[in-house]
Amino acid sequence: MAEGNHIGGDNLAIEELNFAYDNNLEIFQNLNIDVKPGEFLAVLGPSGCGKTTFLNLLAGFYQPDSGTSQLRGKSITPEDPHLGYIFQAANLFPWLNTIENVEFGLRMTGMDSKKRREVALKNLEMVGLKGFEEFLPNKLSGGMRQRASIARALCLEPRLLLMDEPFSALDEILRDKMNDELLQLWDQLGQTIIFITHSIEEAIYLSDRILVLARPPGGIYKEVINELPRPRDLRETKSSELFWEYKKELNNLIQEVQAQAPLDESEIAELELGAKNG
Amino acid sequence: MSAPAVAMEQDKKLDSDKEKITGWVNVIRNKASWSWVSLPSLFLVWMLVAIPFESYILPQPWEVADEAWNEMMFPTVSEVMDDDGEITIIPESERPSFWKFISKGEANNALKHLFRGELWPHVGWSLLEEVGGFGAAIIFSVLFGFMAGFFKGFREYIVPLNGLFMAIPPIAWAPLMVIIFGLGYTTIVIVIFISAVNPMILTIMEGVLQIQGQEVRAARVLGARKWQLFLYVYLPASLPFVTAALRIGFSQAWRALVAAEMIGASVGLGYMVQTAGEVGNSRLVLLGIAMIGLFSYLFERTLFRPIEKRYEVWRLE
Repeated sequence: MAEGNHIGGDNLAIEELNFAYDNNLEIFQNLNIDVKPGEFLAVLGPSGCGKTTFLNLLAGFYQPDSGTSQLRGKSITPEDPHLGYIFQAANLFPWLNTIENVEFGLRMTGMDSKKRREVALKNLEMVGLKGFEEFLPNKLSGGMRQRASIARALCLEPRLLLMDEPFSALDEILRDKMNDELLQLWDQLGQTIIFITHSIEEAIYLSDRILVLARPPGGIYKEVINELPRPRDLRETKSSELFWEYKKELNNLIQEVQAQAPLDESEIAELELGAKNG
Repeated sequence: MSAPAVAMEQDKKLDSDKEKITGWVNVIRNKASWSWVSLPSLFLVWMLVAIPFESYILPQPWEVADEAWNEMMFPTVSEVMDDDGEITIIPESERPSFWKFISKGEANNALKHLFRGELWPHVGWSLLEEVGGFGAAIIFSVLFGFMAGFFKGFREYIVPLNGLFMAIPPIAWAPLMVIIFGLGYTTIVIVIFISAVNPMILTIMEGVLQIQGQEVRAARVLGARKWQLFLYVYLPASLPFVTAALRIGFSQAWRALVAAEMIGASVGLGYMVQTAGEVGNSRLVLLGIAMIGLFSYLFERTLFRPIEKRYEVWRLE
């Protein structure tokens, strides 16, 4: 992978946040989270506990009913240039080729075409997609699409990167590879990352801190500080004793969350529907 | 040549023979498109069906082609205007046929005569009416279709109206329009506008509703503001169903046009078919039908197919 310039991260503060969907399905009550600049935070929870809703709230797609969520002291809108969002599906624009997709954000800022092509190429190279500039998204594999979408987000040099299960559609081997690449990028660029996943191992491997979400209505069930040493290495880290201790601990926590009064099927469906449409 | 070399040559020849054979097998099996058969088979059926009939009741295809020649080339039944503007009356039997022009090498002369026939005003007016009515329908349906897609209130308001108008056959409006506007252009344009605009609005609206929220979200986090969202996301994403709407609208308009011309016009392909039917000229009726089909096909090929090709590339998974 090519070198990237250090971007750095911003701190994110969520205070006493409450949120319910219009149908009064309460998701978060009194949520408080403080994310340090440059921190890699993983958010873990079984499906139907509002992980994606959480991220959409942070991005400003939804407005909290009360409380605040602030990036460097300012509330966040989706259009904020300091914010990057990586979706579960890569969400590339199918009518644009790879390089046009990557430079989309820069085009919105009105940067001239030569300069933005240059920046886009640099970022495309950084994610290892050099040579695929002219490919349409439907000609790329799942992993390549997600790489392109990461390059697309990085072009705007976001200081907070929200990632919504970005590698969950990939097979395990590719996912491990993408995780390593993500860690390398983060090491160079230094943004704050909030990474949502339902994979316990992925959360441990990547993060500095892991939040386990509770069943709605709620918030954080438990917080686990991840003290695995960096730089991490797939073989070494995953075979370390500490890694397996964390895994056991988180496994138990997830079991506890699932044992909480569960939502009924229709509520989960509503939750997922809301997350999709909202 | 050494023995191995000869053997190699022979192998090569065998290979190329094999290729030839498998090539033909593929053609026969499944690789070749059978579409070339459709039109000839239609003509064959026509010819067979026409055998027991008298020519003036159901003519053979070549008799209709002859009619087409006459209608394209000669101003009236028996007059030809020469280059000096003098009208010469020539008996129908002495008219130069298509074959005469070809065999005498008088292609230039033929070109001079082309467009002097009676067919062209009918074709011309029909096309003008189509352009007027369909064009107006495009403008309105894009405007209203997108608005209905974006605004729930407007959608709730306009959908019942679309349904109502689509339940009424457009030709039913023709007599009323004749009363108001008389025979001619305005009447036809209004009728085909009504027939095209409603299904087009619905198609575009459905398409806008289908544009995935995910693409819009992706654009928003990349900093796209309202008008940029429209320009860079909604517009390109809508190309497939706008084309679908154009297709539907065009064919609706073209059908309505022919029907409306039979009631409310004094020129046009529909009028030509209608009047030819009244005087029992089955050749001209069939010629009209052929022209109606031909122009529909030409529009499909020159207008809609090229647009479709543009998005087919990125749409297929």
